[in-house]
Amino acid sequence: MEPQRQNSSYHGDQQSLRLRQVSSPASNQNHPHFNWNPGPEEDEVDGSETQQDLRTLGLPMGLKRAVRQVQQMKIPVVSSSDSWKLKRTKTLRTIKARGREVLSFLTLWKKTLQKIGGNFGGGVKSYFLFLRFLVVLNFFSFLLIGGFVLIPSIVLTSVDTQLVNSTGPEECLEYDPNPQGLVLFYDYLLDLLSGTGFMEYSFLFYGYYSMKDSSYSLPLAYLLTAVFYFAFCLICIIVRMGTAARVTVATGGGAVGNYSSIVFTGWDYGCLGDRATKLKQNNIRYQLQVDLEEERLKQQAAALTASQKLLLYSLRVSMFFVAVGFIAAALYGIFVATEFSQVRSGDEGILGLVFEYLPSIVITAGNFVVPLLCDQIASVEKYPPTVTIILALLRAVVLRLAGLIVLLSTLWSQITCNGQTTSGECQLCQYDHKNYPCWESRIGQEMYKLTLFDLLINMATLVLAEFPRRLLVDSWSNKLTQWVGRQEFVVPANVLGLVYGQTVVWTGTLFCPLLPLINTIKFIVLFYCKKLTLFQNCRPALKTFRSTTSNFFFLLVLLLGLGIATMVMIYSVAQIHPSMACGPFRSLPNIWSIVPNSFYSLSDVTQEFLFFIGSQAFSIPLFTLSCVVMCYIIALASVYGKSVSLLRAQLKAEGKDKQFLVKQYEKLRQQLQMPEQSGGLNTPSGTCFII
Amino acid sequence: MGNKQTIFTAQQLDAYQDCTYFTRKEILRLFYRYRDLAPQLVPLDYTNHPDVKLPYELIGSMPELKDNPFRQRIAEVFSEDGEGNMTLDDFLDMFSVLSEMAPRDLKAYYAFKIYDFNNDDFICKSDLEKTLNKLTRNELTEDEVRMVCEKVIDEADLDNDGRLSLEDFQHMIVRAPDFLSTFHIRI
Repeated sequence: MEPQRQNSSYHGDQQSLRLRQVSSPASNQNHPHFNWNPGPEEDEVDGSETQQDLRTLGLPMGLKRAVRQVQQMKIPVVSSSDSWKLKRTKTLRTIKARGREVLSFLTLWKKTLQKIGGNFGGGVKSYFLFLRFLVVLNFFSFLLIGGFVLIPSIVLTSVDTQLVNSTGPEECLEYDPNPQGLVLFYDYLLDLLSGTGFMEYSFLFYGYYSMKDSSYSLPLAYLLTAVFYFAFCLICIIVRMGTAARVTVATGGGAVGNYSSIVFTGWDYGCLGDRATKLKQNNIRYQLQVDLEEERLKQQAAALTASQKLLLYSLRVSMFFVAVGFIAAALYGIFVATEFSQVRSGDEGILGLVFEYLPSIVITAGNFVVPLLCDQIASVEKYPPTVTIILALLRAVVLRLAGLIVLLSTLWSQITCNGQTTSGECQLCQYDHKNYPCWESRIGQEMYKLTLFDLLINMATLVLAEFPRRLLVDSWSNKLTQWVGRQEFVVPANVLGLVYGQTVVWTGTLFCPLLPLINTIKFIVLFYCKKLTLFQNCRPALKTFRSTTSNFFFLLVLLLGLGIATMVMIYSVAQIHPSMACGPFRSLPNIWSIVPNSFYSLSDVTQEFLFFIGSQAFSIPLFTLSCVVMCYIIALASVYGKSVSLLRAQLKAEGKDKQFLVKQYEKLRQQLQMPEQSGGLNTPSGTCFII
Repeated sequence: MGNKQTIFTAQQLDAYQDCTYFTRKEILRLFYRYRDLAPQLVPLDYTNHPDVKLPYELIGSMPELKDNPFRQRIAEVFSEDGEGNMTLDDFLDMFSVLSEMAPRDLKAYYAFKIYDFNNDDFICKSDLEKTLNKLTRNELTEDEVRMVCEKVIDEADLDNDGRLSLEDFQHMIVRAPDFLSTFHIRI
């Protein structure tokens, strides 16, 4: 049996083309693709050929060791500076390896994710990776906020410095959130759940912080921390998107070569366990059958007559309007619920709690019902399966984020009397001071309630819907339970839930500084709950989810949520008059004005320098420079794109050349009636024919 | 840490570190995994290069490999004798290529050899059919198998000779973003 790895044309990255030329019949015997005797032009390459190349060789270990020995024997010939370079690269590599070890030790939940990936596949694992990313993001945001806002505030409060007096009409300054009179026992629980009462006047909400007479300007720190928090999240998301985008762009971003990629890259070698393997095999079979079916449907659809096509398109248009109608109805429901809740939120007891939570309840119900209805519509629309999935995702995203926007705009219209700050209730303080003596705390409370409700609903679904379903399916086996079957872990819907939760936190952090901490804890609890339900109640989905392209889509939607939160923050910082009765900005016309105020307290030199940076003398050259840099990068990108397509065309042309040469050879052979060579075209060193 | 271990000489460990994607600790851990398959066959002292080969049955019974439908091909491709009986060198080589840090080209090269059942340096239709049957546990109908093989060759064969060469395969792998994460065994 001849050695398996004898004849191959694989080598390390840069050298493959060059060494193909070297692959002459003489060196064909043992290992044609490694040049044992380098020619003169290779000397300078060998000197810098680090042992990095050794690992990328497709040789068996014994031969790699021999190569290494040859390389090491050459090292004394190398000059001292080169040997120092080699030593340096080696130490760098050991440092990198140690660093990687430490990093893998610190990585959160590594073994759990490995287990999930092995048993349920890459799609489900991408959800948990996304969740882990959000946990880490929230935790570091909390450290940022805690360090610059919370700790100084605690220190200043304990030191008991002088409060800056605030000015304004007497009525606007009235604000007493502490509960009056006898407080009933269960009121504490209700207060915990809705952020009122004893929780309202605490570090949790904006209203507790105040401007103290000290060198550390708490209002400035508060505002700048919020700005940096958004910038930090933006940078993290974009960096993560960059890695996902690079993969998508490099592969042409498509499901091109669908069948070949399923067959050759579909099998997950990390799949563990007999049950998981059988499921994966079923999965692949289902995928292939679905693809073949889709092909057949496409051919059918192409063969439709004109009148049938017209009917189908008109049906699709009408279904689109029906879907829009559903979403609009849900949004109107949220609007009505928010108004009603704001009016009736002062009620006592359990009913009051229900009214407080009414917007959250309506939003959750809408997010549950409307996608179900849209699924029914999708079965009428008859789009191909991939388009259906994308449409369903888009509709769900629009519904979730629009629901949040409706809630926020309803609140805004009530606080600022529909934008007319000089009429009606808002005339005195420029905001509705009767209903909202401390409007920032109220918005913070709404976001706090949304976050908490989201977590409670997830846990309730787990206990009340998923566990019973599994128990039912497992204990009774009749036709109904077989048809319903065990739960499937639906990745897109769960990811949208995470994006929604994170958007709520971003919107609310300016008014509820501890919200990132609460969110970190919430996501950690969610991780363990989802893991529990995954392993206990779910079966792996038959329809897989493309993890690499969808990662980019998830991050894009997250970015959209961040954009919405940024707009809300900008509007509330710049336009709405801060409450005069509470908060660190109580004596200012708007939150942003703390920045100009502090600016003028800086030294003259700094002021002049900053003015200079903002002036035209500096910004126009900067703008020109960045235009030039951008033009250069665009030119570079287009050159790379062109060379990629050129190389692809060249590859195809080479194939055609080979085909042509093979035909010529056959023709010549027949003409000269040469005796048939052993093997002929089937010699293992088929590369000999390629010049 | 340090020179406490007596299984390999320092030079041997250095050579292994240079030739695989593993660190010292990982190489020792893999050695112990290798030894656990047959403690009576594998000596604890490799300084004098003992010639120990573990039969394929033991390799194929490892938990990471035992349910993999391609385990026999994997063992055959990486073993010196081509029949699946592996020395420690082959063992380390195999897991190095299948580890996280191996580059795409190296993995594509070995994946090609795994799917090339008849070892003729081309993936022809019969190789494809065998691959497909292993992937789906023989549950596709013959018609479906034929259609899928035709489509695969249609999509990936660039030089139009009815079978896939290494270049075709590598070109197709470049366009498949999931390859690096699926062709990966964690040990």
